[in-house]
Amino acid sequence: MSAEHLLWLTVLGPAVFALAATLVRSTRASLAIVAAGSLVSSALNALIAILVLARGPLLAGAGWFRVDALSACHLALLALVGASSGLYAVIYLAEELRQGSLTARQARHFAGLWCGTLAALAFLLVSNNLGLMWVGLETTTLLTAFLIALHVSRESLEAMWKYLLICSVAIAFAFMGTLLAAAAATTTHSGAPPALFWTDLIAVAPRLDPALMRAAFLFLIVGYGTKAGLAPMHNWLPDAHSQAPAPVSALFSCFMLNAALYCTLRFIPVMEGVPGCAGWAQGLLLGFGLISVVVGAGFMLFQHDAKRLFAYCSVEHVGLIGLGLGLGGLGTVAALLHSVNHSLAKALAFFAAGRLGQAHGTHEIAHMSGALRTSRAWGVALLASCLALVGAAPFATFLSELLLLKALFDHGRTALLVVVLAALGLAFVGLMRHAIRLAWARGEEPPRRITVGIADVALVSLVLAALIALGVVIPTPLRQAVQAAAAIVNAPSAANLVAGVRP
Amino acid sequence: MLDRLMLVLILSDLAFLGVSRFSAALSLLALQGALLGALALAAHGSASTERMVLLALIGLILRGVLFPWLLRRTARRAEIVEERNPLVGFAPSLLIGLVLLGIAMTLGARLPLRTSPMLGLVVPASLFTVFTGVFLVVARRKALSQCLGYLVLDNGIYGFGVATVGNIPALVELGTLLDALVAVLVMAIAMYRLREEFDHMNTDQLDTLRG
Repeated sequence: MSAEHLLWLTVLGPAVFALAATLVRSTRASLAIVAAGSLVSSALNALIAILVLARGPLLAGAGWFRVDALSACHLALLALVGASSGLYAVIYLAEELRQGSLTARQARHFAGLWCGTLAALAFLLVSNNLGLMWVGLETTTLLTAFLIALHVSRESLEAMWKYLLICSVAIAFAFMGTLLAAAAATTTHSGAPPALFWTDLIAVAPRLDPALMRAAFLFLIVGYGTKAGLAPMHNWLPDAHSQAPAPVSALFSCFMLNAALYCTLRFIPVMEGVPGCAGWAQGLLLGFGLISVVVGAGFMLFQHDAKRLFAYCSVEHVGLIGLGLGLGGLGTVAALLHSVNHSLAKALAFFAAGRLGQAHGTHEIAHMSGALRTSRAWGVALLASCLALVGAAPFATFLSELLLLKALFDHGRTALLVVVLAALGLAFVGLMRHAIRLAWARGEEPPRRITVGIADVALVSLVLAALIALGVVIPTPLRQAVQAAAAIVNAPSAANLVAGVRP
Repeated sequence: MLDRLMLVLILSDLAFLGVSRFSAALSLLALQGALLGALALAAHGSASTERMVLLALIGLILRGVLFPWLLRRTARRAEIVEERNPLVGFAPSLLIGLVLLGIAMTLGARLPLRTSPMLGLVVPASLFTVFTGVFLVVARRKALSQCLGYLVLDNGIYGFGVATVGNIPALVELGTLLDALVAVLVMAIAMYRLREEFDHMNTDQLDTLRG
């Protein structure tokens, strides 16, 4: 089997599991499909990422599929998040089964939609065609809508409807942007119709009409930015993330947001190549990033639901990532690194909130206190993930946030640096205030017993070990991968280099 | 001929802003679907290939027949008849619509697009359809109205694509059509569930999640 087949397999593999899920009847079989689908998809994604980072871009399907270092980095992240939250989903749903709150039908739906989402996410990452990339992201919206309302309640239905409508409209905007970019490309071609390939677009970037491309990018950043949870378009996010079952929240926060940012990111090098647009697109991203950091951190102060708190925390961190991407240079490296670290930390946070929520029957912080007594493993996970999310020292997030701040300083953005530091301070207060209470305070009512097995402990220790290890050293392969990905985002377009024009 | 089609499209958008009964709104949706199908068939005249004709026909069947039928069924089962008191009333909606039309006309004239002169009105009319769709999503309370708004928006984007890009790769077009179909199905099912749980489909009562 050649490497090209792998690209097909990583999309079709989880899709087959999704179809298989519609055939099985027992809950156990559904859970097995979730585990197997996640692991198979992650193994394939990781394999592709390794191949691409070692040997260079992979092409398949007559140029419709293409994986370069940027998509490889995201595939690796998807592998990490997919495997961990897939395994967690099995643990989580098994507990629901024991508590009698999961029907066979719900388990079947979950398995099908979960594996389908993994397939769609892989599809958007391996696609070289901007139209198909859009199709992939919109598919994830449609598939995950029912995952939010797996357990039907007024709140979850409300969150589902908001998510479905806001994200569908937003993604339609992104399609408008894609069409405008295609229209701009049409004016450069005389004969052949444009196929919307990213590689084609980047080659003709210097001949694209600046006004059209600016209009296109505005639509794109508003559209994809909404799905990425950038403020002020983040309204759907806290509802969806807090109402969805914990494994789904983890997938949302740790990869769906990154996937939407990735779609925006694909257009950055194109925009940099358009005459007179250098720095313009990045400036927009910087602005949205800054607003998100401030809004996310500000709203964290007023939350009383643990998962909602983490959702606003995601807005803050997506803002930080956007800020870094907007800065360019070292900022891009820091942002990509931070997206890995944030995903690890946030996954652990949602995992812990979900399991402890099962013990307490609610995610209200006031009723969840004393996590360390409820379950040693998940209490530690909750506390550690909160520390990691505020960027405390032994954890990987400390390193990447420091890099981000350094990038801000190096670019001479002192005013921005002050605002970001203030927001990080707010986030620290907002999160740690609750974390201490969650970990140690004595609750009024004793929690239900949840069965914490070896799998729970293994999952917590693995993620925690990764968070700490990455905080001590950045392994060379990871550094090289992130640098190669950043080079794609920051590179002046290939055609510019040919023409000898430096940005 | 195309200009006349586009005038009808603009009028149907304005009518959308003024109707409250879903049966009328759904007929308008079917009309728009048919108009856009005709546009896609006519836009490239003799230059159109068999593949383009086939895609235009699939689009016509989905947008003109299937989507309105699916939503009509949803409306009948859920026994919803009309949008009673929208966030923005029908008369103000029409006025706002006229302003949006002006913006669409100006914008359409200023965008440096290379379209054939035959397609004169298509870009402004599609932009106006996009604006109308977004406005309907924001200004209506019923879930069904919002879903209709989304479809109007989708219609506008489709018209815009036909006019400006013309030859969208078949795979991309099929993908977007499939997504639109799934979106309508998902929204229809979501509306049933909302109906069961809330016994109504007024989204302004969806306000438990705040802050």
